[in-house]
Amino acid sequence: MVNLARLSPSEDLAAAPEILWDRLVAGDRRALARLLTWISEDRLPSILQDRLRAHKRRAKAIAITGHGGVGKSSLVGRLIEHVRGLGKTVGVLACDPESPLTGGALLGDRARMPSLPDEGLFIRSVTSSRSEEAIARHLDLMILALDVFGFDVILIETAGAGQADTAIRDAADLVVLLVQPESGDDLQWQKAGVIEVADVLVVHKADLPTTDRMESQLRSMVNLPGCKEVPIVRVSSLKGTGLPELWKTLEKIDPIRSFKGHSLGSAWKLWNLARERLVRRFQEMSETQPIAALAGRLERGEINEDQATDDLLGLLRKTSGQVAP
Amino acid sequence: MTKLGDTANKRVVLAKVGLDGHDRGIQIVARGLRDGGFQVIYPGLWQTPEAVVRTVMDEDADWLGLSLLSGAHMTLVPRILGLLKEAGLEQVRILVGGIIPEDDIPALLAMGVSRVFGPGTPLSEIVDHMNQDLGPNRG
Repeated sequence: MVNLARLSPSEDLAAAPEILWDRLVAGDRRALARLLTWISEDRLPSILQDRLRAHKRRAKAIAITGHGGVGKSSLVGRLIEHVRGLGKTVGVLACDPESPLTGGALLGDRARMPSLPDEGLFIRSVTSSRSEEAIARHLDLMILALDVFGFDVILIETAGAGQADTAIRDAADLVVLLVQPESGDDLQWQKAGVIEVADVLVVHKADLPTTDRMESQLRSMVNLPGCKEVPIVRVSSLKGTGLPELWKTLEKIDPIRSFKGHSLGSAWKLWNLARERLVRRFQEMSETQPIAALAGRLERGEINEDQATDDLLGLLRKTSGQVAP
Repeated sequence: MTKLGDTANKRVVLAKVGLDGHDRGIQIVARGLRDGGFQVIYPGLWQTPEAVVRTVMDEDADWLGLSLLSGAHMTLVPRILGLLKEAGLEQVRILVGGIIPEDDIPALLAMGVSRVFGPGTPLSEIVDHMNQDLGPNRG
């Protein structure tokens, strides 16, 4: 038996990806876990990337987003219990922020989710960096990996997200936005941003006394005549209420139609890929001589920031990945 | 390629096993490791050995840190090591922290525990140890 633990892409370029893929398809959790590591560490061999991209996804990918502390993990935990109770298997990707200073992270979402070993449940904690709008890098590939493994439902918990963190729209089929009582006046709900990309609004912590006011405010301000109708469901994860209603609502929405309704468009998707590539190229080049020279000229005041930015973009474009260390 | 953004060998599950409700210590260690550049997965209190091993597997962790203040370390640690081996995860390196009598440390190390850290250990000592002991996991 091949020791998966020792399987790394650099070790045996020809054999390792094939073995890992076969194990993934056969339902080996360790293979899935390792594949997700390779994806998150930018080390996925291109042959596996191609296979994942060629895979036609079957499971619905449902994202849960909202501010930090609004109860995303607790709701995901409750949703897992409900969906597992219906006999469906669940794969979860739980995003928490990565430190912009050290690259470290404290991933605590699991603490609010079921912890007993369950063959039909897989939970993976992933980090999101500062530039990624509350979701992990390559989330699309991770979702595909969970689907190849064969889960019925895929849940994605974003990191605590702000008003403008809409990237999740492109990765998931359905976006559930959590709001809680006492969080914003009526004008708040007319603003652009994450509220626009929500397919379902959840008034969470519905055990709190001002839930009624929050819900009626949302009903009157979000679903204005002529606007897209967004279902509003109240859920209390503390009391365990509202989960069946939420799940029924999610099942009813046709993800394809909903996606076309307000997709960010292929141009933006392409930009996201290009941006990712630019970031990676800069990371590869950041300590090389041309960039150091450019930084030096800027520091000495020989060029201004505007010009230096143009020069940097030029440098990143010239070197197409093949950079000497 | 520079090492920028590389997180290999940096995933660590910190766990409290059994009926031990004190997690102040492990939370401080979690914070220290976070600041040391590690990705710390904390699944919460009252974990069973089976649940901890499942978490280590799904999270593809390089390290498992166990905090034990209940005195049950000579029962729980071998049990977890056995389960890890059964699951094909014997490459995961184990740290033990908490209230561990001096006399038990040699036995724990002999079982395969990488290090035992007692109360008052500077966080930097744990981070340094983890950065030095790279183990066989990653290529």
